[in-house]
Amino acid sequence: MTDLILLLPELVLVFWAVALILLARHVRHARSAAAGVVIAAIAAIGVGWVFSGDGPPTAFDGTIAGDGYAQFFKLLIASTLALAALLSVRHVDAERVRPAEFFALLLLASTGMMLAASALDLLTLYLGLELMSLCSYILVGITRERPTANEAAIKYFLLGSFASALLLYGIALAYGVTGSTSYAAMASALSERTLAQSPLLLVSIALLAGGLAFKIAAVPFHAWAPDAYQGATAPVAAFLAAGSKAAGLAALGRVSLVAFAPQQHIWAVILMGLAALSMAIGSLLAVSQSDVKRLLAYSSVAHAGYALLGLVAGTPDGVSATMTYAFVYAFMTLGAFGVVIGLGERGEGLAGYRGLAFISPVTAGLMLLFLLSLTGIPPTAGFAAKFAVILSIVREGHVALAVLAVACSVVSAYFYLRIAVLMYMTEPAEPAPGRFPAAVSAALVVAAVVTVLGGIFPGTFAAWTTPP
Amino acid sequence: MTTYPILTVTTFLPLIGAAAILMLGERLARWIGLATTLATVAVSAPLYLRFDKTSSALQFVETVRWIPSWNVVYSMGVDGISLPFIFLSVVMSVLCVGASWTAIQMRPCEFYSTLLVAETAMIGLFAATNFFLFYVFWELMVVPMFLLVGVWGGPLRVHAAVKFLLFTLGGSLLMLVGLIALLDATGTLDFQALGRTSLSLELQAWLFVAFTAAFAVKVPMFPLHTWLPDAHTEAPTAGSMILAGILLKMGGYGLLRIALPILPDALQLFLVPLLVLSSVAIVYGAYVTLAQTDVKRLIAYSSVSHMGFVTLGIFTLNRSGLEGAILQMVNHGIITGALFLCVGIIYERAHTRDIVAYGGLVRIAPVYTTFLALFCLAAAGFPGLNAFVGEFLIISGAFHARLWLGAVALWGVALGATYILWLYYRMAMGETKPELREHCLDLDAREIAILAPLALLVLVIGLHPESVLGFLRVSVAELLAAVAAPSAGAGGP
Repeated sequence: MTDLILLLPELVLVFWAVALILLARHVRHARSAAAGVVIAAIAAIGVGWVFSGDGPPTAFDGTIAGDGYAQFFKLLIASTLALAALLSVRHVDAERVRPAEFFALLLLASTGMMLAASALDLLTLYLGLELMSLCSYILVGITRERPTANEAAIKYFLLGSFASALLLYGIALAYGVTGSTSYAAMASALSERTLAQSPLLLVSIALLAGGLAFKIAAVPFHAWAPDAYQGATAPVAAFLAAGSKAAGLAALGRVSLVAFAPQQHIWAVILMGLAALSMAIGSLLAVSQSDVKRLLAYSSVAHAGYALLGLVAGTPDGVSATMTYAFVYAFMTLGAFGVVIGLGERGEGLAGYRGLAFISPVTAGLMLLFLLSLTGIPPTAGFAAKFAVILSIVREGHVALAVLAVACSVVSAYFYLRIAVLMYMTEPAEPAPGRFPAAVSAALVVAAVVTVLGGIFPGTFAAWTTPP
Repeated sequence: MTTYPILTVTTFLPLIGAAAILMLGERLARWIGLATTLATVAVSAPLYLRFDKTSSALQFVETVRWIPSWNVVYSMGVDGISLPFIFLSVVMSVLCVGASWTAIQMRPCEFYSTLLVAETAMIGLFAATNFFLFYVFWELMVVPMFLLVGVWGGPLRVHAAVKFLLFTLGGSLLMLVGLIALLDATGTLDFQALGRTSLSLELQAWLFVAFTAAFAVKVPMFPLHTWLPDAHTEAPTAGSMILAGILLKMGGYGLLRIALPILPDALQLFLVPLLVLSSVAIVYGAYVTLAQTDVKRLIAYSSVSHMGFVTLGIFTLNRSGLEGAILQMVNHGIITGALFLCVGIIYERAHTRDIVAYGGLVRIAPVYTTFLALFCLAAAGFPGLNAFVGEFLIISGAFHARLWLGAVALWGVALGATYILWLYYRMAMGETKPELREHCLDLDAREIAILAPLALLVLVIGLHPESVLGFLRVSVAELLAAVAAPSAGAGGP
């Protein structure tokens, strides 16, 4: 029974999801459902925190971890869920989506993410990621009347199934080589084995890396992200950007550093390639985008690259930097999406930002803050996070990668600040946007506070991180 | 003795003023701006009054734990090199508010709060005693400058602002990698501790390239200067004053604070190319200035030439050159700031920056032309005015270092006198253009009140250069000692 303590946050979310589905008939307004989800997310964080020391170190025959690493990502995922729920209120009502279904899927996807972050076994990881992915496919296509959403969902589903197949095949090969799917058993089996003895191991690592890279939208497994983000409603895109990336990074961290600890150097090379390609291609392709959601999708590809840098280093410092990066990225990207969502239809095209600073200065100021943070300019959290990941790879001697990272930052400055230029340096073309719904404003305030505090006290989030 | 953390209060007071402006609204914006900048001058006063000129140690030091995992602390302090720049920053900020009093009608709240954020970044940069904090303020400066140029600038402001931003970000992100590599190699980012470390020559060389690229963009050194004429020309008067007065000095200050003392061996390696680039900047900048027909652009290009003098003085690596360079940075801030102010004042009336549209101003605006004459003469290096001392020290340092450098510098001085006096001649002398007579052109009390302090500084420093040099002497001597002693580990080239 004590095993269940480690799963309390997940159980809270599942309970709410089930309750929502049972009460679906009575849930008419997105507002009440969203409030419930926020409470559930806070409750999940609360029980995770209250019982943090009570459970066993691992549960269910060593398949679920209760370590600080899992707790950190659960906190991050629950926060993402709460903010995404707040951001969804208007869209769910406006698109006439059934609120109970929508929020239940959001809750279940988060549960999957949490499971993936605490999995200590490849099969548990797979289950968690699949739960997340299946819910995400539906969430992307949940506005059935919109053809773009259907198209996005189908693309996402097809590519996602392919990635899941890669992952599963990788798991099977890993099982073949090591005789186990448990991280600890794999690591001890692998420590007695060199690559030359089992070439299949390399194939297995490559397949696992590919499958997981898909979840964080790292190049060359990124093709789904721009279409899915653009086709999905903005809150779903925000949720995917922040949550899916966190879960994928958590899984990559554990798999590369725990399960394959003896082969970490191989992972480092693969992750280095993924990181370099993601940063460069994500930044370059974002330059020519005129759809803001698509632009943020390419930016999320680039940020996947930055976040991976810490795992390339593979040191405790590096892992802590990656965790910090995932955390900070979630809040700044949710913030940026929040502004897009608050502005409604006009927020999705670049032209909607013309002269925004003249007609609604606070909105423009918040967007500027999030854009500066995404660019990595101090004193914002994005700078602190970028500093941490680059420091971790420079400590391992990868200076060229560090130079590439900052070069890509300059490119990214160009497209992020293009929005700033539109907001501050052109005349407004449309009348002032309407008032933001209270829920969206609340989410924006939380995101902004985290973005500012994380910049002024860069050590805060790093202090919460613990390597797996 | 001190009852409050002077440097922290001086640095962050403008930020509080900025917040107050945003909260209290448009009507009070410029008054709060003026009050805040004046209050900042007042709270910074003990720095100059109680500074011990006989000590090269950091003074008014403040240290607070900040980010233990990176061994980064929040530490502030001043020495003889940073103090004049802090003075320049707080004084310039007051004058910037004065210069914008009537010129800025569009969105005054945002304008004055942006200006005040810039002031925080400037003061913080010069007060920081560790590289991390220095970098934070360095980057913080970019954002308000980008907005000042891009929102309140001239017709081509967006192009100028984006160009400025990409140039400076490109440079400063290279600095970030260097900074991280330095932290990795030494485990500290404290300037004084870094000065005592000895790094291998190879690492020093790489770091030197990274840092100097960032500083050279800001100075700007030839050939990285192309953002400057655009930004200067398009910026509002206050923006040009901050650009010329403070922002360019950040680059020179960075060279003095970081490149010279921390990487002395690499400095020797790159010394000759840097001297050549400085000379090219002086002469090329001067010739390009001669060809300008836009007043603001002319002054902007003259900055390239004048900052060439500054970097030349720095890289002579002797006492006279270094003291001259620092003094000349202060002088250039004052004079160029004043010249931009003069241009701004007349632009507000005549709405043109074309030199040929002016002429014979002396007859219709005698007070204005008196100030203009004073600042033009100062820029030309007229004896008894401030730039004369600085240029004299730099040139004697240049002759001392290498003969040809002195010759190039003299050539630059001659060209400098030519373009600036020719500018004065074209604007003040000759026939008065009939359209100019229609505007009431002479100065009002506010404008005299902003120009007078600058004129006073020109005269005081010109007649009594010791008022600045006295602060520098001991710190420059220590800096020279750090540069001259090749660090033990590297062995020098």
